[in-house]
This record gives sequence, structure tokens and C-alpha cells, in this order.
Amino acid sequence: MEASNPADDFIPAALAAFGVEADEIELAVMRAAHELFWPPILELLALDTGAVAPEPAPDLSQAPPSR
Amino acid sequence: MSEALDLSLRAQAAAIAAGEVDAAELLEAALARIEARNPAINAVVATFPEHSREMLAAAPAGPLHGVPVVVKDEWPLPWRAQRFGAADMLVTPVPGESGPYRALRDAGAVIVGVGNMHELGASSTGNVSVYGPARNPWNPERCPGGSSSGPAAAVAARLVAGAVGADGIGSIRYPAAYCGLTGLKPTFGRSAMAGHHMADISTTIVSGPLCADAGDCRLLGSVLFGEELRAGEAQGLRIGVIRDEVSEDVAPAVREACEAAIEDLRRENGGEVREIDLPELAAATLATVLIANSESLGGVTPQRLNDLAPELSPLGRGLLKYRLMLPAAATVKAHQVRTMARQRLAEVFADVDVIAWPTVPAVAPPLEAPIVELPSGTLTADAANVRGGALANLTGIPSISVPVGSSEGLPVALQLQAAWGHDELLLDAAEALERANGRRWVDAAPPMARAEPSEA
Repeated sequence: MEASNPADDFIPAALAAFGVEADEIELAVMRAAHELFWPPILELLALDTGAVAPEPAPDLSQAPPSR
Repeated sequence: MSEALDLSLRAQAAAIAAGEVDAAELLEAALARIEARNPAINAVVATFPEHSREMLAAAPAGPLHGVPVVVKDEWPLPWRAQRFGAADMLVTPVPGESGPYRALRDAGAVIVGVGNMHELGASSTGNVSVYGPARNPWNPERCPGGSSSGPAAAVAARLVAGAVGADGIGSIRYPAAYCGLTGLKPTFGRSAMAGHHMADISTTIVSGPLCADAGDCRLLGSVLFGEELRAGEAQGLRIGVIRDEVSEDVAPAVREACEAAIEDLRRENGGEVREIDLPELAAATLATVLIANSESLGGVTPQRLNDLAPELSPLGRGLLKYRLMLPAAATVKAHQVRTMARQRLAEVFADVDVIAWPTVPAVAPPLEAPIVELPSGTLTADAANVRGGALANLTGIPSISVPVGSSEGLPVALQLQAAWGHDELLLDAAEALERANGRRWVDAAPPMARAEPSEA
């Protein structure tokens, strides 16, 4: 039996949970986006950033304060 | 008078100030040229001759007195709301005095048209828009770049000498690269931003100039910054390069031209090239996409998504709905990555003055199929371009795209990035590069930009 694409389950389920409707073309777009974005999202989630405290309100016009 | 349209932005301003060119005649010539050339490229999606004439009549004696310019369809004007290249937006746009409008008005410039853009600013290609795609003046079957597609195509076709774009993830630099222009993404917060529909929530978007060369970007940038961007020499420039996919997974002709340009720049300024390391770059790219796409979600409801106008492209509808599924934990991580990248860059800029890599890894792809062939394989242009364009938006640093070569009859571009607030240094470096290559690439114009007798 062929393994199903996770996006085939995830996207319709997520849309249903949010109460958002989508036609077949939109679903195809979302599947393509999911294939592109989800693997790096999982990599990002696996990144150990525990020691990094985000700048609370970064002033992006300047360098960050010295550590 | 149409010859005056082929002058640089600063030469047009100087000629008007000296009484050598009549601003009213120049405005009419610009309108006539748009009428003649625009149908082939769809760069300008709205003109409003009466408003333009009123602007000229009221124009103060500023640095751009009487000079025609185009603004992207992302900036509201008093007589026209932006459409963001789309049949529907998540907010209701209204006419008004945006920051770029005020800056241009107060400088004496004349807004002669609105430039096309990629729908919702959502791509580096410019191949989808409610107005139909803009086309690349170097080859109308190729993408002009996005999302500031129309402003870039308008300047490349010499409809005007300067245009104002917006850059949230490379959206000034990608079209500058594809169209052979110089495009400056300013330090975050340094250029006019008021009136943008995301001005209060975006941490990535800035306004910036698209012009033929760095001198014109300096002039238009000074207007948008509200301060003079003074020229310097950039002597002894320390140029940072990275051995990573952003500089190596690149079409051979692009890599060759960019490496030659880096060497030209080093030699011109008696500088040096240093290898740097940015291990956060890949994560920074995704972090930028996550942050930029989540910042617009505050006004989103499921019902609003169900009510999107059917005229919005299926791509736009699908991507807007997909944003709901971005995990919050990933966005939190993205902010941590932003901090890591900013801290790393602060260390890197202690050792180098600029970081250089190709603006985009391949020349403009076909409008009908915006994919690129790279050493690693076939990628969508968006997936390939974002690797090099996102870091500046994530961290706030300034960045400039400069034309440095040609392949397949299409422009090739190098991107330079500098530390926060060093926008002037980027312009200095771009001018040094122009001197080093004899202005070969900034003076190159596509065939359609050659003046036609019927336009005289």
C-alpha cells in the first residue's frame, strides 16, 4: 500500500478545524506550500535555541545590544 | 523632449533647475512615453495626468523639482488607494498621503503613474497581478521580478528615471536584479513608511529607490530618508564572502560575473576579500518567511478567508489560507533565530564592511514557468531567490543590488549588505563598482528603451 502524503490529511483537517473552506485549486496550492515549507519548519522546531532569549522589542534600525 | 527622459534622475533634476528642460514638457513627454511603451510591459497600471499636472503646479523647489517618478501599487496616494496588486486585501485600502508621497511631493517630484506589483507582494517573480503581469523590458517573455515589478520595469524601459518600491523580503532587490537596475533596501525604519497598510505591524518592510545607478538611488533615497545620503570613498573596503549555497548553488554565468565584480570592487578601493561564516543563514531565511507571513494575521478571521474575492488568484487565496496553519512554536523560534542572526551579523561587521553574494542565483525566468536551473537541480525562482534576499529583512540591515553582468541577454546582479545605518557605504561601494567596470552595466539599456523618432 502506498504511503499517503501527510499534507493530504493535515490540510483538510486543519481547514475543517478553522472552519475555512477551500476549492480544489486552493487545496493544491496549499499542498505545494506545505511540501515546500513543512520540512524546514520541522528542522527549525528541532533547532536547539533554548539559550537564546529573543530581543523583546528589537530596534531593527540598529545593531543588537552587546551580549 | 523625450531625450530628456533618457537622462539620469539627477541629470533631469539638474536640467530643470538650470532652465534647460521645461518640467511641464517633461511631464507630457513621460505620459506620452508611457502610452507608447507601456503596453508591451504593463509596468504602469494607472496614470492620472490632472493630478500629476497639479503636483507640478504646486511643486516646491526641492531636489527633485519637476522630475517624473513612479510609485509602487503598495503606497496610497491622496487620490488613489493602493490595490497591492490584488483584487482583495485583508485590510480595506484607503486613499491618503503615504510617507513616500509626502517625501516626493515635498522634494518637488511629480508622480506620473503607479507601478504594477506581484499580487499581495507574495513573490519574487511579478508574474501574477490583478492587472496582469508586468513584463521584463529586456525580454517581455521573462519575469520582471517582484514584488516591485512595475517600478523596476518602468525604470528599465526608461518610462521614468526613478521609482519607489517596497521591500519586505527582497522585493526591491529581486526586480532590480532581473531588470538590470540598482535597488536599495534601506536600514529598517530609515526610509518613509507612513501610510503603508502594514506600517504599524511589519518588522520587515521598507520603502526604497529603484534607479539606473547608485547616484540616482542616492538622490531618491535621500528624499525617502529625509536626509542627505552623503557620498564617501569606501577606501580599503573589507568585503565578506560566504562559501554557502547562496554564493555557490548559483548558475555558472551568475557566479562568474559576481566573483569578477567582487574582485573589481576589491581592486578599485584597495580593499580585501575575507571569508565569513553565517551558519544561521538557512534558518534565517525560513524565519523571515514565517515572521513576514504571520505579521499580517492579526486581522484575519476564518470568515474573512471564506469571503475572499473570487477574483483573487487561486495562488493568493491558497497562500493566505495556508498562513493559518503556520505553527506558533515555529514563529517563536523564528524570533530566536532573528536574535541569533543579528548577533552574528554584529560580530561579522566588526571584521568586514560589506557582505557580497549574488542577488539572485539565476537570470529572470520565463513568466509562464518561473523556475530556475541551479547546480543542485531545478527550483522555483521564489525558493531560490529567498535564500539571498531574506537576511536583510530579518535583521534590519541595508542591502543594495547592483548590475554586474549579462547572461542570455538578461542582467546579472551582485548584492552588497552592510551594517545597520551604513546605507551610504553601500551607495559608495556601488559607485566604486560602477567606476571599476566603466559603468558598463548601469548604462546598459534594453532594446525597447532606445528612443524612437515617433516619440520625439
